[in-house]
This record gives sequence, structure tokens and C-alpha cells, in this order.
Amino acid sequence: MNSIIRFLAGFVLIVLFYFAGELLVSLLDVPFPGTLVGLLLLLVFLFQRKQVPSLIVAGATPLLKYMTLFFVPAVLGVGVYWEDIASSFTAIFIAIVFTTVFSLGISAWIAQKLMAPVVSKDSE
Amino acid sequence: MTTNIVQPFVEKTTDLFFSVFSVSGAVWIGITLCAYLFSLWVVRKTNNNPFANPVLVTAIITGAAILLSQREMSAYQQDTAIIHWLLGPATVALALPMYAQWEKIRSLGWRLVAAVATGGIIAPVTAWLAVYAFDTPFAIQMTMLAKSITTPLAMEATEQVHGVPALAAVFVITTGIVGAVLAPAVYRLLAVTLPQAQGVALGSVCHAIGTAKALHMGEKTGALATLGLCLNGIMTAIVLPLLFA
Repeated sequence: MNSIIRFLAGFVLIVLFYFAGELLVSLLDVPFPGTLVGLLLLLVFLFQRKQVPSLIVAGATPLLKYMTLFFVPAVLGVGVYWEDIASSFTAIFIAIVFTTVFSLGISAWIAQKLMAPVVSKDSE
Repeated sequence: MTTNIVQPFVEKTTDLFFSVFSVSGAVWIGITLCAYLFSLWVVRKTNNNPFANPVLVTAIITGAAILLSQREMSAYQQDTAIIHWLLGPATVALALPMYAQWEKIRSLGWRLVAAVATGGIIAPVTAWLAVYAFDTPFAIQMTMLAKSITTPLAMEATEQVHGVPALAAVFVITTGIVGAVLAPAVYRLLAVTLPQAQGVALGSVCHAIGTAKALHMGEKTGALATLGLCLNGIMTAIVLPLLFA
């Protein structure tokens, strides 16, 4: 029971950061995602406190763990746009499959060139 | 002045809670939850095979239920608005893993930022070139730009640049699955053996699904993938609206 209350309290705190981000974006009328501003506000708060309050951990852990569930309604929105996807299927397929593999390979290769000098000496 | 801004906000939130307490809302939220629990069981049983992705499995089962019951997809989305809404707080909660990784970000410095930026630029640009070359509708071109960042940020950024948020979710998740399945083969082909490099690329090109794969490959790979996921998510979500909004 206690852990449920702690989760709810932490959840409410996180929601407050989320609302603060959304409100800030609409007050300042800037084209940034409100959730991103909320994330940055929470990050700044954590740096101020120099540690993560345990209530926030209690609220955040289930949200992060079951995050995949929250994508489902959005993904099913594909049904609404099915005709658009079907009419450009080849292009979308190439864009998603080929360019993802290409980008993944190139960026890993470049990352290895960039990081090999610093990482290999401090680890192992 | 302030009430003008707060009011739509309050209305949106109350609508959300009415949907939870309607009968169809309760039924469809229940169906989605059951499908999700089943998908988690499938993922465990198949030993984290990337094709057994919880989002994919849940969406297929729930989608089949919607088709069979002949319910409108948009009505389903209204019924389950509360589930969708939770993406907001969940994204804000990503600040925690980001904070936990901060020391590593500092010690790798510009090299890490440059590595993440490489993936963060090549992936959307090549994807956009592909859809542009085929002359697809403008909204799809804009949506493709956000395909490499984590879904909630991608959906918001897509909305800002006049793409289609629901399509963004689909593009993002398929991108993640493709990357997670093919990453080991690609790395072998290009002789990328450094775990940190493998992780950064997976996190910045294939977001949360790539990060899950990276965690499976090893601790260092996973930590760097989390960094790639967070940094590129933030960079892309800031840069896209600045360029195109």
C-alpha cells in the first residue's frame, strides 16, 4: 500500500513538471515540444538537488518500465492513415529499411574512429 | 490573459478523464492492457527476440480486436486517450536516466556529441532523401525527419513541423526494429568492435528499441546507447522545429 502511495506522489510530481513545460511553451509561444521543456526542467531540478529524490524515482520507474504500452494508441493511428502509407509504400520501405541500416553502419564506424583513442586507455 | 491559456488545457484534461469513465473507454483500455500483458509474456518466452517487440505485438492484437468489432480507429483512440496521455509524463521521466549518465557525458565530451550528431544527422537526411526522391506527399517527408528519435519526442516534433504524429510513431518503431535486428550483421561487416561505438550508434539512430538491444549486448554498449537516445532526442526535437516550424 505504502509503495502505491509513494508511486502516486512521485507521479504527481512528474506530471507537475510536464504541465509546467506545456504551460511555459504556450505562454512563450515557442515551437518546442512541451514534454521536452518538462524533461529539461526536471533535469535542471535534479542538478540543483545533486541527487534524485526517492519519491521521483518511485514515480518514474513504472513510467519508464511500461513506456512501451503508452505507444499503442498512437501506433494504431496507422489505420487512420493507411491509404497514405500504401500509396507511398516503396519509398517508405526504402527510407526505413535501407537508410536505417546505412546510417547505423556509418555512424557506428565514425563513432569508433572518434572514441577509440579515449575509451581504450581508461577501460580495461 | 492567463485563463485563456489555461482553459484549453483544463478542457483537454477533463475530456481525458471522462473517456476513462465511459463504458467503451473501460472496455478498450482493458483490452489494450490484456494484450500488453500477453505481449510482455511473449517477449520473455522468445528471449527478447527484437521481432517480439511489445508495441508491435500489442498493436497487432488490439488492432485485430478493433477490426473484428468494426469499431472506428479514431473512436478507439478517443477511448484510450489516457494511455496516450501517459507518454507525456513518461518522456519527462527520461530526465532520470539522463541525469544518471551525466558523468559519462562529461568525460567523453565533444567526441560523444560529435558521434551522436553524426547518427542524428545522417539518419533523417538519408531517409528524407529517399522519400523526396520518390516524390511522396510533403507531410510524409516531414514525418520521416523525426524517425530516429524516441516516439513521444518524435510525435511532438512532427506536429510542430506539420507532419503526421501517428505516422511518426509507426516510422519510429519500425526503424527501431529494423536497426535492432540488423545491427549485429552491420557491425560485423564494417568491423565495428568497440562496444561504446556500437552503443552510441544504436541509441542515436534506433532510439529506445535500439537501446534495449544495446543493453542486451553489454553494459557499456547499453550505457552509451542511453546517452545517444537522450542526446539525439533532445537535439532533434530542438533543431527540427527551428528549421521547419
